[in-house]
Amino acid sequence: MGLTEVVVGEHRMDFAAPPDDVTAVHDFLADVWTAEPSVGGEDRMALELAVVELASNVIEHAATDVPVRCSLTLAVHGDGLEARITDDGRPASVDLTSAALPDETAESGRGLALVQMVVDELRYDRDGGRNRWTVRRGRAGALPA
Amino acid sequence: MDIVVHETGTDTAVLECSGRLNMVSAPQFRETVASVVQGGRPRIAVELSGVEFLDSSGLGALVGALKTARQAGGDLRIAAPSEQVTMVLKLSNIDKILRSYPDGDAAVREWA
Repeated sequence: MGLTEVVVGEHRMDFAAPPDDVTAVHDFLADVWTAEPSVGGEDRMALELAVVELASNVIEHAATDVPVRCSLTLAVHGDGLEARITDDGRPASVDLTSAALPDETAESGRGLALVQMVVDELRYDRDGGRNRWTVRRGRAGALPA
Repeated sequence: MDIVVHETGTDTAVLECSGRLNMVSAPQFRETVASVVQGGRPRIAVELSGVEFLDSSGLGALVGALKTARQAGGDLRIAAPSEQVTMVLKLSNIDKILRSYPDGDAAVREWA
């Protein structure tokens, strides 16, 4: 019998914007943290920032008359957290290698740079006609796998 | 988010904010600052102790509000940021252009 990866919990929420907005994401995460009391404050702050930034991008990028349908999953493992957002909107055109902070006086363009600062891995790809954003973050104080 | 405007002096105001400063509330925050500045109070302190979440949309609104205040001959200061807000201000380097005070009253006192 092989070793089985211990999954503490996997959580999922579907939403459509409009009418939903990032408030749905905040509410979902609040429920996840209640269900997963082992996740520390620093990890919660990091994940919430990353996930809300990505969801904001998806909602803003969609910005058409047709609602964009999104699915958010958050997996809590013993050694890390993984969040994934997929949506059926137009393909995103992003260059993650150039996601740097803009000038201090800029009023936009900081989202992806902030995400990269608080996660260990950020990925974007297309999967079955959907945009897919994935972030991973090792848990503070976790023992190496 | 909730914003309570305290008219603390002839040209100063403390904006007591609570909730989240994100994509949903950023337009409301920008409009409130613009209307306080237009009302003759371009020196604004933003009390952040009740703000539990700030993201890049909120940062954009703060930077925009700072410009609005300065264009009217005033300035914008922030006060009492929470742990999450402090983290985001630091990561984005906005802590370099927005000076933080212990509380809203302390921020406007120097202007009195």
